[in-house]
Amino acid sequence: MGLIILMLVFAVLVIMGMPVAFAMGIASAAAFWHEGFPMLITFQRATSGVSVFSLLAIPFFVLAGELMLHGGIASRLVKLASALVGHLKGGLAMVNIFSSMLFGGISGSAVADISALGSILVPVMKERGYRPDFAVNVTVTSSIAGIVIPPSHNMIIFAVAAGTGISVSSLFLAGIIPGILMCISLAIAAYILSVKHNYPAEPFPGWPAVGRAAADAIPGFLTAVIIIGGTLSGVFTVTESGAFGAIYAFLLTTLYYRSLSLEAFIKAVIGTVRTTAMVMILIGFAASFAYLLALYQVPSRLSTALVSISDNPIIILLMINLILLILGMILDMAALILICTPIFLPIAKGLGMDPHQFGIMMLMNLGLGLCTPPVGTCLFVGCAVGKIKIEEALKSIWPFYLAILGALILVTYVPAVSLWLPSIL
Amino acid sequence: MRDQPPKKALDETVLNAINKLIVVAASIALLIIVVTFGWHVFGRYVLNDTPTWVEQLAKVLICFIAFLGAAAGVRDETHLGVSFFRDMLPDVIQKLIIILIDFALAAFGLVMLIAGWELMAFGWDSMIPMLNIPESFKTLAITMLGALMCLFCAARGLRRIVTFSDWTPNPVAKET
Repeated sequence: MGLIILMLVFAVLVIMGMPVAFAMGIASAAAFWHEGFPMLITFQRATSGVSVFSLLAIPFFVLAGELMLHGGIASRLVKLASALVGHLKGGLAMVNIFSSMLFGGISGSAVADISALGSILVPVMKERGYRPDFAVNVTVTSSIAGIVIPPSHNMIIFAVAAGTGISVSSLFLAGIIPGILMCISLAIAAYILSVKHNYPAEPFPGWPAVGRAAADAIPGFLTAVIIIGGTLSGVFTVTESGAFGAIYAFLLTTLYYRSLSLEAFIKAVIGTVRTTAMVMILIGFAASFAYLLALYQVPSRLSTALVSISDNPIIILLMINLILLILGMILDMAALILICTPIFLPIAKGLGMDPHQFGIMMLMNLGLGLCTPPVGTCLFVGCAVGKIKIEEALKSIWPFYLAILGALILVTYVPAVSLWLPSIL
Repeated sequence: MRDQPPKKALDETVLNAINKLIVVAASIALLIIVVTFGWHVFGRYVLNDTPTWVEQLAKVLICFIAFLGAAAGVRDETHLGVSFFRDMLPDVIQKLIIILIDFALAAFGLVMLIAGWELMAFGWDSMIPMLNIPESFKTLAITMLGALMCLFCAARGLRRIVTFSDWTPNPVAKET
């Protein structure tokens, strides 16, 4: 009964359009009340869910990304990408995907990626004769790279949700190849479409220009290297690396690039507060919600149900992916990571899957959910940046969905894709 | 995005000022965390003396960033929600639902305020190690979120009732 109350209150409130975080909070409070527990447990759980040391890395990662965004690093990365891959067929689409790979590594946020790169590249693509829906779809789907390629704050959330047995540095390494693989698969889709629509290639600027663009962009790219390297080497904890990355980004954009004005700095800080708060409040109330789910033994019940349908690992993993895809279409990533990890990770472990591989699979899967209606933050932001209707984008987005799904299937069924890199380093 | 009357009424001016204040406070908390963490690393590697209070302070300040920032998000309606289903309904019903949600959030804010207050009372005697301040400082943040949510949402709900014919139910600017 309590479980029904929890789910029903949550579903009704979400359908009515209440912010998801508060819908989870109200549903949890109602369930605690029904069970005869004091309602204040909801808020006590929410506070202790937020006040976690490892989660402090989130504001730092976001701040580093925001400083890079407002400090002009995005345009430098686009220049580097143009010099390198612009001369291919459908050159600007390739530039878009390649820039996402580079920038995503730094910002770790898909939405930041879209607003930074989309606002630069989509207008240029339209001008060069690319269809607006194509330009938007490339921007939106390639932004998911930021979630899978380290450093990504969603990896931190996963590590916290998974509890023991997860090393953030292994998770960072595990994401690199899947992220690149996903970008390659998107590039192939974009290439085929470019040939079909005869999109132009840009002139190759020559190697000296490539060199100059690289020299200009590399100091910015080092932010990601510092965060990942600091964590991998064990010199810093993830949290310290994040703080260090943010401080480096600040010094770089003010002292070296000299492109961060006071106004831009304030914008970056406020943007960080807003993003952090939005993620953290979800984490807080999701912690309450997940606590109740565990209390009602949802994880074990669901895994019994799944195993009773089939004992074939391939089928079970397929079902987990399907459930995550459907949930990801409706709900937001941070909340889903916290709610679904305790449910599905034990099942995956039972099948002999490595938790790091599971984490990358889950992040990629939920990332795809950010590009799908009815609730797809990336899709919405992308369409806003490209000034087209969502329906318009959806008509031609499916080749890119297929590309991400292809990469997702490889990550799900071939452990080496995610686990090879952590195993050799 | 927000439904503002042509000239800003006094209540809007006051609420906007409060909103700005909490964003500034949360931003300062963020900067303090970043700087103290820089000091933490410096202390450990250069001074060989790790300032252990940094972690504890950060765990308190993150509550303020999260909950005060969330309050600003409530005011500006930037929290993630699903308006997809609601958008399919007739305008008048949508508007009623939006007002209903405002008051539901205000009520939830009130519950949060009361529960937060009780939590603060519980935590008053247990001290956070290294900082020697009561645990209640962490729950102060969620108590403030409760108070602010109650204030912001009740004010917005009332305003929406008073000006019922002047606004449209489709404030989702990102979709245009």
